[in-house]
Amino acid sequence: MAKEIGADRLGDLYIDGGKVRRRREWRGLADTMYDYSRWLGIMATLGKFVMKPRNVKAMFRYRWMANYLAVPMMVDRHTQGLRGEYLRICHEEQDLVIKDVAKLLDSLFRGDRRIGNDTEFSKKVVLVDENEMTAVMMGFPTLKCLSRETPSTYVSVLLNQHAAEHYIDVAQEFGLAGDVCPMPEAEAGVSIDDDAPVLGACAIQCNTTCDGSLLGNGVISRRLEKEDGIPVFQLAAPLRHREDDVQEYAAQEIRNAIAFIEKHTGVKWDWKAYFECARRVNYATRCRQEWLEMNRTPWPQVFGSNLALYTETNYMAICGKVPEFERADRRITKLARQAYEKRKMAAKEYRHRAIVWGVQSHFYMDFLVWLLNCWGIVPLTDMLSMVSTRELKEEDTPENRETAIYDMAWLTENMIMRNRTHGGYRVLLDELWEFTQQFNADMVILWEHMSCKALTGMHGMFEDRARDLGIHLVWVDHDLFDPRIISRQGVRDQINNYMRTVMREEPLDPSLEVLHDEESW
Amino acid sequence: MRDLKHLIFFEDLLQEANNRLIQQAQQEGDVCVAYVCENTPEPLLNLPGTFSTRLRAPRTGSMEIGTYYLTSFLCEYTRALLERAVEGGYNFADCIITPDGCSMMNRCVENMELLKALGAGKDKFFFEYMEIPMKSDDNGLNLYKLQCTNHILNPLRDNYGIDVSDAAIRRAVAEHNRVCELIRAIGDFRKEEKPRITGYEFHVITLATYVAPKRMLIPLLEETLEELKTREPDPVNPFRARVMVVGSEVDDIDFIKLVENSGAFVCADRFCYGSLPGRDPIVLNDEEDALTQICRAYMERGQCPRYMNTAKMDARRTYVNAMAKEYGADGIIYEQMKFCDPWAYEKMLGSHILREEFGYPVLAVDRPYAIASSGQMRTRVQAFVESIEIKTIQRGGNNG
Repeated sequence: MAKEIGADRLGDLYIDGGKVRRRREWRGLADTMYDYSRWLGIMATLGKFVMKPRNVKAMFRYRWMANYLAVPMMVDRHTQGLRGEYLRICHEEQDLVIKDVAKLLDSLFRGDRRIGNDTEFSKKVVLVDENEMTAVMMGFPTLKCLSRETPSTYVSVLLNQHAAEHYIDVAQEFGLAGDVCPMPEAEAGVSIDDDAPVLGACAIQCNTTCDGSLLGNGVISRRLEKEDGIPVFQLAAPLRHREDDVQEYAAQEIRNAIAFIEKHTGVKWDWKAYFECARRVNYATRCRQEWLEMNRTPWPQVFGSNLALYTETNYMAICGKVPEFERADRRITKLARQAYEKRKMAAKEYRHRAIVWGVQSHFYMDFLVWLLNCWGIVPLTDMLSMVSTRELKEEDTPENRETAIYDMAWLTENMIMRNRTHGGYRVLLDELWEFTQQFNADMVILWEHMSCKALTGMHGMFEDRARDLGIHLVWVDHDLFDPRIISRQGVRDQINNYMRTVMREEPLDPSLEVLHDEESW
Repeated sequence: MRDLKHLIFFEDLLQEANNRLIQQAQQEGDVCVAYVCENTPEPLLNLPGTFSTRLRAPRTGSMEIGTYYLTSFLCEYTRALLERAVEGGYNFADCIITPDGCSMMNRCVENMELLKALGAGKDKFFFEYMEIPMKSDDNGLNLYKLQCTNHILNPLRDNYGIDVSDAAIRRAVAEHNRVCELIRAIGDFRKEEKPRITGYEFHVITLATYVAPKRMLIPLLEETLEELKTREPDPVNPFRARVMVVGSEVDDIDFIKLVENSGAFVCADRFCYGSLPGRDPIVLNDEEDALTQICRAYMERGQCPRYMNTAKMDARRTYVNAMAKEYGADGIIYEQMKFCDPWAYEKMLGSHILREEFGYPVLAVDRPYAIASSGQMRTRVQAFVESIEIKTIQRGGNNG
């Protein structure tokens, strides 16, 4: 038990076959007290949530709600080994995301015809996909933009690695081939199982990340439109998003989506609200760029899951609509600058500087923390964090209103993941090697999400290029939502084997090399 | 039934990607435009001085190189194409045009480009990728036109000096329509109770129209149509059920042969490389430019599951129902190539909807690219045929 970074054997905290760890981590008095106070804060958020009878009712109606018992454990997994500013940055992000998800759940159940059945509230709700850029909602401040898939599948798997298995099985029992991406597969499974809240004036779906996602929406919209009577607009975002000759199409889709929402909610687009959101998006972009700038130096500060999970939420789901995230951006940047000035490190030794590319295993999001603690590999940035850095127009003028439509279209085209997995090989393949140079990385950790056709379709070219450039390329296979295919230890073993056999290195913390966490949340 | 006079010739055309008619057309100076997806408007690839061939990889064996580059998780069609390209099997093509129809196809062609697997020794060779609409509406139509202009017409004009005027496009449509009318007329014989053409024969003929220069096929198709008018069907129908095959890419003639050898007559073909709706004529008027009309026809009739709006999704299933009725199908076989995401979902929903809402017996199967003589598939189709027969008996179909 030590205050110093890297002095503890973190693997000793695990119980073989247990759901939770043996005990909380001792981080020295100040950090432990801080961590504990934030833990209490999370419990307060959860307590406030369950105080409402409708939310308790939802716990019994929706199978996936049981996963939310694991919220504190999820935060603990991501704060492993962290001290000082890193610990605080992690809590700033995670606690805010938790509050946001709690609000989302509360809103969903308030309007849900089976639970709260607040029909007036439901009329102000626009449903969106889980993986959808919500730019098209930036000018509707009085409407609620809610995603049902975020809590039922996306967050659930972050909380409990086994959360999606039931829904994957449901979809396959219904006849879906087992080789599609398990994320839209699980979302389709929720819909087939009729296990999603039913509410909303209308829904906006989008061909988000892949063919599977596009097609999975068809299963969901069928129930929404034909059984629940909720009209659906399918927003088609062009795949070749870097090409000039698709931008007008993308912009028109945004115009059509806004018109659809106005028609079904009776609420008019508010330009003032839009430009305020655009200003916040720009601020978030500047902060992210500053963090990435730091990560190019020997003293990276906001990286790993601190960067990945937060960017995913802030960039796509929030998209400037929630002021709290701007305040969090400011606090995180302040902490990062503070640590950078003191040349602080998040682990006792940084052995390798890595770019993490591909689609991460969702059931093991804290893998990046493990990578640092076990092997001293610093995940400087990841594919999902390398999103648009374009400045949006902030001033409300007639010209800017027209440009704003194209800005929203650009953001929608450049949703997380699809901005790399689609748009031609340049954005996926060529730019990876540009980033390795910019970040002075000596290693690429390449997630091979086995059902992601757009990614695995470049497998051979990744290998050829890495060989040509002399960069260590470590493949990490996984099946995104399904740890039955490749377990967390299976994921770790791929790194362990590479580090021992190719790099001939010993781990920084050997207790983390093999963990029996198959049953863990 | 007597063998069709040109069947062996058509079969022979399917034995090689670089078939004899392609070689002949190129010797005559025509530009060969390769493509890989049904969403690429065919008449625009068949302008005066050009002809199209949709890539296949006949007699595929090993796919090791394709699998190395694309992994074993991509569909075998794309892996087989890449393998064949790396072997130099498509070096006859003068350019390749592909839409981002599905991720796998896109990656397949991108790998061809990165590996410089096409265009050896051809200075004017080009790769073109195009965006295609995901919904059938005005916005989609505008996109389609722009993309066809930028990624088909302009590159053909700039690189090979091809006439891409409205008049040239109309000539191409006329030739395209002649082929479609002949295929339609030949296919109509499948509606007969005792069909005078098998599903296999029809598939071979249809497939040939996708891979060989159309102008050279027209006389052969005309002769085949005339021959069919007087062809005597077998006195005893050798088939026990009539099925419609619906689904993803099928360019493997053995698949249809296997289904028919298992007792099911393939009376209708709603799959990529099939005739429904791929061989529907495009009716042009004089008021609007031909490009717009072609794009609209492709967009509105398109049955590809990547079309994501509800109206199109519903229309896919009603189309299957309408065709099944028109061609007198007793049952429907939904097939998908393994690892095909779009058809994995469409097969799941379509098979439920056609069974539960439209009342058809449905078999849903996934299959490899080259099926050869798969015992598993044969067993499944045989069992399906038996189930159709049992249902017919239970309904009293046999004893009135």
